[in-house]
Amino acid sequence: MTSDAFDLDDLPPAEPYDEARDKAQRERLLTTWQSPKGWRYLSDVNNSEVGLWYLLTSFAFFCFAGVLALLIRTQLAVPGNDFLSQDLYNQVFTLHGTAMMFLFAVPIFEAVAILVLPEILGARDLPFPRLSAFGYWCFLIGGVFVCGSIFFGAAPDGGWFMYAPLSSNPEYSGVGADIWLLGLSFIEVSSIAAAVELIVGVLKSRPPGMRLNQMPLYCWYVLVVAGMILFAFPPLIAGDLLLELERAFGWAFFDPDRGGDPLLWQHLFWIFGHPEVYIVFLPSIALIATILPTFASRPMIGHSWIVLSAVGVAFLSFGLWVHHMFTVGLPEISLSFFSAASEAVAVPTGIQIFCFVATMLVAKVRPSLPMLFAGGALAIFVFGGLTGVMVALVPFDWQAHDSYFVVAHLHYTLIGGMLFPLFAGVYYWYPFVTQRQTNQKAGKWSFWLMFGGFNLAFLPMHWTGVMGMPRRVWTYDVTDGWAVLNMVSTVGSFIFAAGFVVLAVNVLWPRGKHAPVKRNVWNAGTMEWSAEVPDKPWGVRSIPLIKSRYPLWDQPGLLDQIDRGEWFLPDAKEGKRELIVTDILDARPLFVQRVPGPSWLMLFAALFLGTSFIVATYHWWTVALISGAAFVAVTLYWLWTGTAHIPEKTEKYVGRGLTLPTYEAGAGSVGWWAVFITMTGDMTAFVGLVFSYFFFWTVLPDFMSTTEAMPFGWLLLGFAGVLGQWGLTVAARGQLAGRAPGAAIGALIAAPVAGVLGMAAFAWAAMQAGLDPTRHSFDATIWALLLWLSVHVALGLLMQLYTAARIWAGICTPDFPADLRNLTLYTHFLAVTVIMTFAMLAVFPLWLGAL
Amino acid sequence: MKHPTRPRAPRLIDDGSLWIVIAAPSIWAAHFLISYWVAAIWCAKIGGSLLDVRWIIAALGLASIALIGLLALVAVRRYGGTLIIFEEITEDSRPARERFMGHVSLLLCILSAVAVGFTVIPGLVMQTC
Ligand code: HEM
Ligand SMILES: [Cu+2]
Repeated sequence: MTSDAFDLDDLPPAEPYDEARDKAQRERLLTTWQSPKGWRYLSDVNNSEVGLWYLLTSFAFFCFAGVLALLIRTQLAVPGNDFLSQDLYNQVFTLHGTAMMFLFAVPIFEAVAILVLPEILGARDLPFPRLSAFGYWCFLIGGVFVCGSIFFGAAPDGGWFMYAPLSSNPEYSGVGADIWLLGLSFIEVSSIAAAVELIVGVLKSRPPGMRLNQMPLYCWYVLVVAGMILFAFPPLIAGDLLLELERAFGWAFFDPDRGGDPLLWQHLFWIFGHPEVYIVFLPSIALIATILPTFASRPMIGHSWIVLSAVGVAFLSFGLWVHHMFTVGLPEISLSFFSAASEAVAVPTGIQIFCFVATMLVAKVRPSLPMLFAGGALAIFVFGGLTGVMVALVPFDWQAHDSYFVVAHLHYTLIGGMLFPLFAGVYYWYPFVTQRQTNQKAGKWSFWLMFGGFNLAFLPMHWTGVMGMPRRVWTYDVTDGWAVLNMVSTVGSFIFAAGFVVLAVNVLWPRGKHAPVKRNVWNAGTMEWSAEVPDKPWGVRSIPLIKSRYPLWDQPGLLDQIDRGEWFLPDAKEGKRELIVTDILDARPLFVQRVPGPSWLMLFAALFLGTSFIVATYHWWTVALISGAAFVAVTLYWLWTGTAHIPEKTEKYVGRGLTLPTYEAGAGSVGWWAVFITMTGDMTAFVGLVFSYFFFWTVLPDFMSTTEAMPFGWLLLGFAGVLGQWGLTVAARGQLAGRAPGAAIGALIAAPVAGVLGMAAFAWAAMQAGLDPTRHSFDATIWALLLWLSVHVALGLLMQLYTAARIWAGICTPDFPADLRNLTLYTHFLAVTVIMTFAMLAVFPLWLGAL
Repeated sequence: MKHPTRPRAPRLIDDGSLWIVIAAPSIWAAHFLISYWVAAIWCAKIGGSLLDVRWIIAALGLASIALIGLLALVAVRRYGGTLIIFEEITEDSRPARERFMGHVSLLLCILSAVAVGFTVIPGLVMQTC
């Protein structure tokens, strides 16, 4: 059959069922996908295991942060209390906010997505299972480090947004601020890794036939949220970098005496921080959007309206950051822009809620535990949204700013918008994960305790806030008149905690001996419920052709066909873990992707990387360097052994008359997409630095005139050198394609030489002009840009040598050029970085001088 | 390397129906950032009355809305986007997928245009920084 004639709507019928064959296939699939046993279990990479670890770890951090919340409430229960010292109180509330946001709210999204996304897609796994495992280990190590600091009295205490100059001056803030900066940067890296995995997963790992208009809402949300992570976290990483450079080496970014500005931190933080609120909130909406149709027994009304709203919210939420800075004295006109966006974002948010309500109204919703939580969530969230519109109005914000009114608003949106839907999801997918059912009665108890306790705790805070109680106060006086309300809040928070304990016990209760639930217990329409009972590690017995948004409802006989292995890839003849990669628009099958199995490498990589971040906190630079080098070595080994193998045969029969290639390079491959997406995030971090440059230029009248100009000739040389690194890589790609591997290796070795020389010229130019990063923000900004560039030149160097070695070893060849194609893509981004750097160092000052 | 059977897939860039979805909100984002920058630089470097930059704000807003309008036209013409409310585009075919994307793009154009409008209004109403 020729390729063009192949029509997915007209597949040949499946081969007749043969019990012996089915049994053999199942056997082979099972051995291929089995989790390792015993302590080797920890080397597993299967999404269902990694997702579960992720989920449990996030909940552990939630419990930790929750205990801190109870400490806060105990301290505030009565006036003049001395249960916690003021210093400890500061650490406790900072760590509460930090852990809730960074160690629970974001990772839980990734956890749930890694756990259920592949199954909703009817895929066996995500395309980079080892990357997920690596991300998980980074998250665990970083989280334990950040949380553990409080047991040594060394926790961060500057509030969860770490405002400079409190955080930038080591005299005001101890090692806690370093722990916050380095520990969280480390975790942000793992969030971005997960985002890359999820984006590629949704775009390229859909089952054949699942066109974009057939894609379940949950996948749309995952796509949107992962995209937001990719644009929101990098500016914070850039901010972390600047702040740590100031703390550790005295660079001048936030110190007004040296031309710095603490407001820069606020900008970089909130460019992350507001989208963060939606990064936390949208995944929970996604859970409701998945659960609701099941209990309404009908498709969601306004599917495309919800997609539009999710995309719209994702964009608009980036235009809101300054609404956290209404009181810092920005020009009123700027404030009004942000106020406008804050009101505009209510429109798409409202549309989603509206579609949910409409679906509930036209259908008769089956009452159930997940729906109870979803309903409670909606009630709380709508209330929180109303107070949000209130604080988005500039005049009201001036009244309520930094009072308990804000604490109340924030928890109404977070708990209503994220926690309750999440609990709905926990009860909904519990049978999916464990194949048992929770105790429904205890579930109701947990709901009512939490719902009542929550309102009792947080409703009074609106009044304490309006009466003038500021947030983050350690204690207060009887004469303030807030004592009764605070006591009520404390009692409420303990009731809430009791409700959570009921939930936790209900979920963790060992039910090994209980009868398993029947398949698809809730009678849902999405693919994750196609799993057999008891569950198998292979994800799906055979990968079906999807023709509907709710295949289990609309494609009769689907389950039997899947079980009998009538669909694609029913076998693992070569003993390799295999996925089908499809195209982004119509999900036409493109090729078979082999994914690597269990390995300890990711754990080691995470350990080394973690160590280097952790010791950097204490400024033990040598150890940090050694351990960083060990990380690089392990990673290179991991890449060498785990990626882009030349397959033993170029194509493979996958069933139903379809034969697919087993290798792909360039824009069709998943590796290329991963590089593209990662580098987009990297570029965003760089844009954070660019923002800093122009920010300083805007606020400082003498930003550029504090030093003499950098010599243009040297800058030009530097520019040419780094561009050369790019050009030579592109040339190498051409040489390899032209079947001249020797020339390609030569170009790949020459490329980093050009880059390093270019970097030296840049540095020389800066030194010639006498730029000293500790002197003034201009000098510091220029050096920060150069630092960024040099790290990327160095990364390019590593990858160029790696690829040269791969060509030499015959793994990267003219017919199998994936490594080189990915490297070239990387250097395209390098080229853009150097062009922008050159523009800021040479062109822009020149242009200003000429004005 | 010989080519095995493989159903031909539409090319992402030629087909374009993914780009058009994010194009309109991207214009909103660009407009938002430029307005913010113009205002910030004006207020910090030049200062004084906003009346002088009013035409810039208006022109930027109009240009963005015109661009978004153009995109909306593409969404309707090329992808058959319509403003349906309750009809769902669930059919399993390539034209249905295009229509779905056209529909979503069209809605996003409207949302983006409204949001641009929201940004322009204060620029026209305010007198000083
Ligand atoms: C379990 C029930 C919870 C209780 C009783 C609680 C209690 C509190 C209290 C009293 C404060 C104010 C501390 C102060 O200003 O002195 C606070 C702050 C905060 N909470 Fe919670 N909280 C809870 C759950 C959550 C959740 C689920 C999240 C996020 C997902 C969260 C995120 C935050 C944040 C970001 C802050 C601000 C911290 C700061 O000012 O730096 N909380 N919480
Ligand atoms: Cu916000």
